[in-house]
Amino acid sequence: MHFEEEFKLMLTRRAFFARTSVGIGTAALASLVNPDLFADSPQIDPKTGGLVGLPHFAPKAKRVIFLQQSGAPSQIELFDYKPQLDKLHGTELPASVRMGQRITGMTSGQSTLPVARSIFKFKQYGQSGTWISELLPHHGKIVDDIAVIRTMHTEAINHDPAITFIQTGFQQPGRPSMGGWVSYGLGSDNQDLPAFVVLISQANALNVDQPLFSRLWSSGFLPSRYQGVRFRAGSDPVLYLADPPGIDQTDRRHLLDAVARINRLHAEAFNDPEITTRITQYEMAYHMQTSVPSLMDLSDEPEQLFELYRPDSRKPGTYAANCLLARRLAERGVRFIQLYHRGWDQHNDLPRDISLQCQGVDQASAALILDLKQRNLLGDTLVIWGGEFGRTVYCQGQLTDTNYGRDHHPRCFSVWMAGGGIKRGVTLGQTDDFCYNVVEDPVHIHDLQATILHCLGIDHTRLTYKYQGRHQRLTDIAGNVVTKILA
Amino acid sequence: MLARLEHEGLKASPQADRVTLIRRVTFDLTGLPPTPSEVDAFLTDHSSDAYETVVDRLLKSPHYGERMAMQWLDLARYADTQGYHVDPQRDMWHWRDWVIDAFNRNLPQKIATGFNRNHMINFEGGAIPEEYHNEYVVDRVETTATVWMGTTLGCARCHDHKYDPFKQRDFYRFYAFFNNVPEKGLDGREGNVQPVVQIPSPDQRRRLDELVQRINAIEKALPEQEIASLQSEWERTALSTVSPATRDGLLAHYPFEKDLADTSEHNQPGRTLSGKVTFDYGAVGKAAEFNGETQVELGDAGTFDPSRPFGLALWFNPGLILEMSLVQKMDDSKDHRGFEVFLDEPAYVGPHKRTSHIVVRLVHRWPDDAIQIRTKERVLLTSFRHLTINYDGSDKALGLQILIDGQPQPVEILQDHLTGGVDNGRPLEIGNKQTGKPYQGFIDELRIYDKPLVDSEIEKLFFNEPVRTVLLGLSGACAEMGRLQGEDKLADPEDPLAQQSRENTPAFRIKMQCQSEKDKLRDYFLTWAAPDSFRKVQAELRALRKQKAELDKAIPTSMVMQEMSRPRETFVLARGDYRNKGEKVIPGVPAILPPLPKDTPLNRLGLAKWLLDPSHPLTARVEVNHFWQIYFGTGIVKTAEDFGSQGDSPSHPELLDWLASEFIRTRWDIKAMQRLIVTSATYRQSSNLAPELLERDPENRLLARGPRFRLPAEMVRDNALSVSGLLNLGIGGPSVFPYQSPGLWEEMAYGEGYTAQSYTPSHGDNLYRRSMYTFWKRTVPPPSLATFDAPDREKCTGRRGMTNTPLQALVLMNDPTYVEAARTLAQRMLTEAGSDSARRISYAFRLATARKPGPEELKALGELAQQELARYL
Repeated sequence: MHFEEEFKLMLTRRAFFARTSVGIGTAALASLVNPDLFADSPQIDPKTGGLVGLPHFAPKAKRVIFLQQSGAPSQIELFDYKPQLDKLHGTELPASVRMGQRITGMTSGQSTLPVARSIFKFKQYGQSGTWISELLPHHGKIVDDIAVIRTMHTEAINHDPAITFIQTGFQQPGRPSMGGWVSYGLGSDNQDLPAFVVLISQANALNVDQPLFSRLWSSGFLPSRYQGVRFRAGSDPVLYLADPPGIDQTDRRHLLDAVARINRLHAEAFNDPEITTRITQYEMAYHMQTSVPSLMDLSDEPEQLFELYRPDSRKPGTYAANCLLARRLAERGVRFIQLYHRGWDQHNDLPRDISLQCQGVDQASAALILDLKQRNLLGDTLVIWGGEFGRTVYCQGQLTDTNYGRDHHPRCFSVWMAGGGIKRGVTLGQTDDFCYNVVEDPVHIHDLQATILHCLGIDHTRLTYKYQGRHQRLTDIAGNVVTKILA
Repeated sequence: MLARLEHEGLKASPQADRVTLIRRVTFDLTGLPPTPSEVDAFLTDHSSDAYETVVDRLLKSPHYGERMAMQWLDLARYADTQGYHVDPQRDMWHWRDWVIDAFNRNLPQKIATGFNRNHMINFEGGAIPEEYHNEYVVDRVETTATVWMGTTLGCARCHDHKYDPFKQRDFYRFYAFFNNVPEKGLDGREGNVQPVVQIPSPDQRRRLDELVQRINAIEKALPEQEIASLQSEWERTALSTVSPATRDGLLAHYPFEKDLADTSEHNQPGRTLSGKVTFDYGAVGKAAEFNGETQVELGDAGTFDPSRPFGLALWFNPGLILEMSLVQKMDDSKDHRGFEVFLDEPAYVGPHKRTSHIVVRLVHRWPDDAIQIRTKERVLLTSFRHLTINYDGSDKALGLQILIDGQPQPVEILQDHLTGGVDNGRPLEIGNKQTGKPYQGFIDELRIYDKPLVDSEIEKLFFNEPVRTVLLGLSGACAEMGRLQGEDKLADPEDPLAQQSRENTPAFRIKMQCQSEKDKLRDYFLTWAAPDSFRKVQAELRALRKQKAELDKAIPTSMVMQEMSRPRETFVLARGDYRNKGEKVIPGVPAILPPLPKDTPLNRLGLAKWLLDPSHPLTARVEVNHFWQIYFGTGIVKTAEDFGSQGDSPSHPELLDWLASEFIRTRWDIKAMQRLIVTSATYRQSSNLAPELLERDPENRLLARGPRFRLPAEMVRDNALSVSGLLNLGIGGPSVFPYQSPGLWEEMAYGEGYTAQSYTPSHGDNLYRRSMYTFWKRTVPPPSLATFDAPDREKCTGRRGMTNTPLQALVLMNDPTYVEAARTLAQRMLTEAGSDSARRISYAFRLATARKPGPEELKALGELAQQELARYL
């Protein structure tokens, strides 16, 4: 008997599987959770695998692409134009500005904290007149589509806690990532792909990269099916997707049919719905063996698209290729697409390394927006671009006319958002002349997270999971939606 | 139990069939499937206690300890890496071995102190020691509370517990028990972190004892006072005996004390073309620091022409990354004419331990008219090294020589064909980006001679100059030290945390510099200038200390708890933040729980006694609940980690109480408790699910049927290996590296010479060790195990998920471990089961499931075999 018919039969037989017959994938996703273990979890919508009752209100965005710039790009060189620094260049950072704030052990031993201006020029672009650095010329083309937030701030002063904070809402490990929360809440719109996909690309800069941790896309205390699935360049884009040498899809089909036969006998005997689920999961795996490689295969993209994204988008694993992949994933309804691009930690040789990073990142980031827009996907896709904190206005190491470095700065940094639910062509917030403190419209990490959830139609205070006796949230006990940038 | 079922109008299920039963209990007590002969023995044993015989056999198996340890490793957040940021290796496998052994020997207490050191540890550059130290202590509190008391005491870190009767003050009093370890806040760069115990082999122990004895004896015999007075006497006249570097043939000398002056008689001061040179403590007084942007030219003292001999000497300590030109005198024409000393692309031999080859080039026209030599070995570049380049003017590569710290280096000759001149009219330079790769790091005492340097001359540069500079007080550190006396008070010399917090202060650096200068002086005196007898003893002592250091490095260690004699102070921290110190507290237990027994000390020993006191309402209940969970997938209290008001109520409270009281009555006899559970009628029920039972009780909370759930990750893999015959049943030892997709670590790692940054699979038998020995890297946990819900071990895990996903199907289909296991099982079918296809299938089926296949199953597999055979014929 053919698998799908058999499965539909199963559905009619088992009230337990009260699922609509929307196909294998959906049923598979919806059945990932063992009801034995998580029966007290909120009810799951069989159609999406998300929670019943979500979204809480009409969503503007159906999916998210988060372009996490790991290592923390300097806001001073990229988005937060500070002409006043030319005059302050080389002068000591006033204590009245620092206000006794803690700084990292890398510069706390420095005898001076001299202000360093950006050696890169800024220019206004678009109708919005958004200021953008000469390092990001391609961003000039999308400024009227994005909202730049110049007043992000965080609590952590080092990479590990800071990136853990922006990705999970807590500085210390153990919590679900944002992608995990979103797929837990909303489930998936795709039948053959995971709801939460992770893509990693390597630094363009010459200095050492910051490490990444799988906890950043972990499901934390949520059931592990909500963790991100890493897609990688190469022949095995998802772990163990490729059949071993000597086995082809016909062999695989035969094998799975035989295993399913035996499993069905077993299901009859024991009445355990987990066995039925297992049959389904083997089928889902089989589907993924063709759906994922076809997703990763860019050969059906037109030539000019590679030019749009930058020619290195042809090279699997680059940031540009991952941006292009992100669009393909978005097209296929993947809920949360999380990119990490390494190499932004410019403690020294900032001018050299930030230039290299921008060469690798500028064009593809802009291309993603243009591409999504052209395909009418930008309207319901939320795109976020930013690091885990900012960089200090004072120089780390030696300050010369042509070279300097910047340490970690938590008190202000810039990110941009675009697409579903976000105002177009605006700049939010004001930092002081030193680009040190926020003067107007501060946006905390939890505010950013609340806003992302809001765009997806989720009230961040009501997306909870009970763990250790508490209804846990992505935003802990904080977070305010940044209404000023909402469309 | 039956009463509850009756009350619910349900009946217990009949006993499971024997095959199911032996398979169930063998997995549960050893984590392994039963062998066919074990199954046969059970099936043919018709005595009334046949099952109990099996249970007793299994409880005696050494694999029992492994199985029990599996759950314990999750609770104890055991891992093989530090967890934060760079996440390099640590070595706690001795502790793991200890746990396995403790279960096998049925020791009542499992609190080897390594338990409290298994938490994550950080050393991210720039992090603040107190911040992370606080996290370590908090983790100990949370883990202890979860594992032993099933309470969410951690919720009281920031404020009073919202639901359970724990005050914030309770949290910090509990915290105080764990806050007294002589540890730093930032540590773990190079493996295990103090405090540790050494675990020497008997041979190492013997050698260590012997070395320590000899070192102690010599140290005792050295007349400190006499040496000190002899040394200070020597110091008065030392400048006249420790002769300075030769000025014979000196063309230029840049001491780099505070500027680019040339102190040779040629007086050709250097000048900065771009960037800025800074001066900091170096090998001889101060040294010049170049940051990659600094470009300096040093005049044209040396022509470095191939027809003329020369000698070049300098101290250098380069930065970490990239290849670089140390000194260069190159032109930027396409010929690349000139002279260059070059450090090639670094390789790392430890955290931030750079090595590079040193390359010297004399070029007339690159690449075919040039001499180029390169040291055969990479040179370790972690501190100032002294470099001499000698050239005899012979036009030949053999006439070039590279010496490091006075030692001639074996070299490879890469090019040896030089016909034309090298002089290009340019000055000697450092940091020119156009003609080379800019230098980053320190250079000190650069000298150029018009002749090669002989040994005695190099000796003066290497040995004498650094000491002369100390005698002259050139760095000024010790003088400054005097002025800073007040600022440099030690907080608590016994407390590494307090010490570490000061490391970033300028006063500390000056102090360290002054100390190193004093050491240098004493070392020189005892090596070269002291009376013969002392010199001999000193040489011996140095050799012994070196041997001991090497031995210490070779001896495995394990992290342990230790108490400082002067307790570190503990404060209530407002909002849990290490910066907000409030009320000072002393160790104590939560007020709602029974008090510490009388006369118990206020330390961890007292705490352990309190936890195991029969009157403690939680410990025994929480522990038996953990055990129950092993067998039934769910505890009697489902929220094993939370017995508080927000946790689930026990499904069978009387049962929980009775098991707990039995556990206490038997003096925490763990094996007896396992026996009690697995011999119960409840455990032995069939797990067949009647449809109405599935509706009534999908979670099996009422236990009207036997347990039925997916094997934990480790057992899924161990089962496949075992069935195929590949499994290596060795117990204990260091963690191993089974097959893993290439690049998984590297794509996320930091590199730079740290451990556990790149993955190399083990060889041979070690590929097939039991999964619990798999190397557990916290930031990239073992992928095939993680896919089956194994945790990342960043934090204590009391309950694993039990998902059923397509990614698991992919692992089973295509992970090389499973592919190999399938192939090996197929080989067994062919070689061990005769030639009949049905027999072969039955044989494999029984290996895999312990039972014989039914006719339908046999048919399905037989048809598959035929189908596949047809494809390959």
